[in-house]
Amino acid sequence: MTYVDKPAIPKVVKFDEPNAKLRNKLDVMLNTGSDIYQGACKKRGSTLKDEYRKVAGVAYMDPKDMAKLGVSNWDHVKVISDWGEVVVNAAHSRDAPHEGTIFIPKGPWANVVVSPETYCCCDPTYKGIMCTVEKTDDDVLLMADLMRAVYKKYVKDEEGIKDLATLGEMPVYKKL
Amino acid sequence: MANYEPPVTDYDSIVENCTCAFCGCNCDDLDYLIKDGHVVGVRHACRLGASKIMEDMDQRLMVPMIRGEDGELAETDWDTALDKAAELIAGAIRPIFYGWSETSIETMHHGLELGELVGAVLDNQATICHGPSLQAVQNAGYPISTLGEVKNRADMCLYTGSNAMNSHPRHMARYSTFPRGYFRPRGRFDRTVVTLDPKYSDTAKMSDIWVGFEQNGDYEFYNAIRAVLKGKKLQKEFISGIPKEDVEELAEAMKNVQFGALFFGLGLTHTLSKQRNIDIAIQMVADLNSYTKWILMPMRGHFNVNGFNIFMAFETGFPYGVDFARGYQRYMNGETNTIDLLTRKECDVFMVIAADPGAHYPGGAIKHLAEIPVIQVDIHWGPSTEIADVVLPGSFVGVEVGGTSYRMDGVPIWMKKAIDKPESCRDDEWIIKELLERVKKIKAEQGALASK
Ligand code: SF4
Repeated sequence: MTYVDKPAIPKVVKFDEPNAKLRNKLDVMLNTGSDIYQGACKKRGSTLKDEYRKVAGVAYMDPKDMAKLGVSNWDHVKVISDWGEVVVNAAHSRDAPHEGTIFIPKGPWANVVVSPETYCCCDPTYKGIMCTVEKTDDDVLLMADLMRAVYKKYVKDEEGIKDLATLGEMPVYKKL
Repeated sequence: MANYEPPVTDYDSIVENCTCAFCGCNCDDLDYLIKDGHVVGVRHACRLGASKIMEDMDQRLMVPMIRGEDGELAETDWDTALDKAAELIAGAIRPIFYGWSETSIETMHHGLELGELVGAVLDNQATICHGPSLQAVQNAGYPISTLGEVKNRADMCLYTGSNAMNSHPRHMARYSTFPRGYFRPRGRFDRTVVTLDPKYSDTAKMSDIWVGFEQNGDYEFYNAIRAVLKGKKLQKEFISGIPKEDVEELAEAMKNVQFGALFFGLGLTHTLSKQRNIDIAIQMVADLNSYTKWILMPMRGHFNVNGFNIFMAFETGFPYGVDFARGYQRYMNGETNTIDLLTRKECDVFMVIAADPGAHYPGGAIKHLAEIPVIQVDIHWGPSTEIADVVLPGSFVGVEVGGTSYRMDGVPIWMKKAIDKPESCRDDEWIIKELLERVKKIKAEQGALASK
């Protein structure tokens, strides 16, 4: 098997931070970029699958930050920036410690919250975005559903998006 | 311990010395194990390369499709799909042809002709990754060498803003750190590896020295090293969060190697100072060269992203973001680049070839793609397919069709064909050529009508 159904993430057991208060919302800095699991899954072509949601729709966080929010691996968090908001999985980062920063691998989920501002030099600002993270019960959307919910290109009734059936994990098109 | 995976023994034939079609390392030593016309195993590739080559056939684009009134994609025949795409392109006022980095130079050739004909903007993935690097190279120079030279000579490899173990997994193994070279007979033991990265990344974990300066601290840090190299005393105790003694020690170590190689990634281009970070890194390399030999190389992402820049620079004089709207080529950063054109809502038809803006553009830019017709030429159903109106299935360069590509150090490599493509797909080169023919025909008809 050249791919995994989800990334290997450390399980950090120690949750109690003696000095930290549990809080609902955390101000953090967001970085995005490539990650080997995301890269392998994307280029293999499996972007509709649950696998892609697990490798790209995930925020890698410092264990201390996760303790402050009271979330554990694969709990859902909502990331909100000036440019949008998106629900992703939370996971312990294998590069910790980096308290106060989170990392979302590049992909449709990260795109919703990064800044398109290029400062006149062609390249959007994908790193160093100020955002907040909070715990949520909402689901992390599959890629096709996310594209539909965020960009609404072919949706007639924009209010009713929430009630539409999921597009699923396989290509949907009319055959001849 | 991960599960042990037994080697693949059930195959019909081996195709040797294939080139990987994933990252800018362009590893050209891969062996494909073929069974029933499919690649079932890949030898020598890293996880990224192997997973791309042994692709997910579930999501392979097999047939041309057009999106109907009801918002659903529907299969159609090649003629209809190509005519529809040609009609959109011929009728466009400000078209963008974006992508090209995962296809061959031969395809770009026809793309350029088509772009010139209709007055399009031709741009590639550099616009969202190493564009600032190319600007810095135009500002401050390009002290580059080939990767072979690094392998044979380098005794210090410095990765900055780049997580090679995640995005170019064989870079250290094949070119920079681990291989034995002519002057470095003991391989890894003869080299010092330094990583400059705010994050303790997988590459940092494998390095001898990790400098974890602050986020957005790159610019200050390189300037401090430059100051030390010029014999100045540092005034501040901490530079980007790093004690000044450590900065001085690092500068001293960099001065005292025989051959140093600096590899930089998107950590420099995506933070706030963008191209200025690289300007300063290039000048630092220039300063180091008054003591010893240092080179610098951008870690290019796709296997042919450098190819497009070299090809365009050769043909038009500009590396990317080339605008033909006025009938001749123009290049203006912040104006003729895809993201700026999209956020300003200028573009009216978008064609994407071998790229995935749906997965890699910031939402602010994709929002405009949701308002205009999008033509997609690609091999897999991806986020871009969800916003595409015409889908033309291409073929896999380096596996199903041959083609030329350029490695990150600018060495051209011929990628050979190993298996046949699915019958209903077409070569990228053929698709673009067909579009060109059809657009020419439409333009000729329009011309004839106008002259009447
Ligand atoms: S390092 Fe890059 S080119 Fe080499 S096998 Fe891995 S993905 Fe392919």
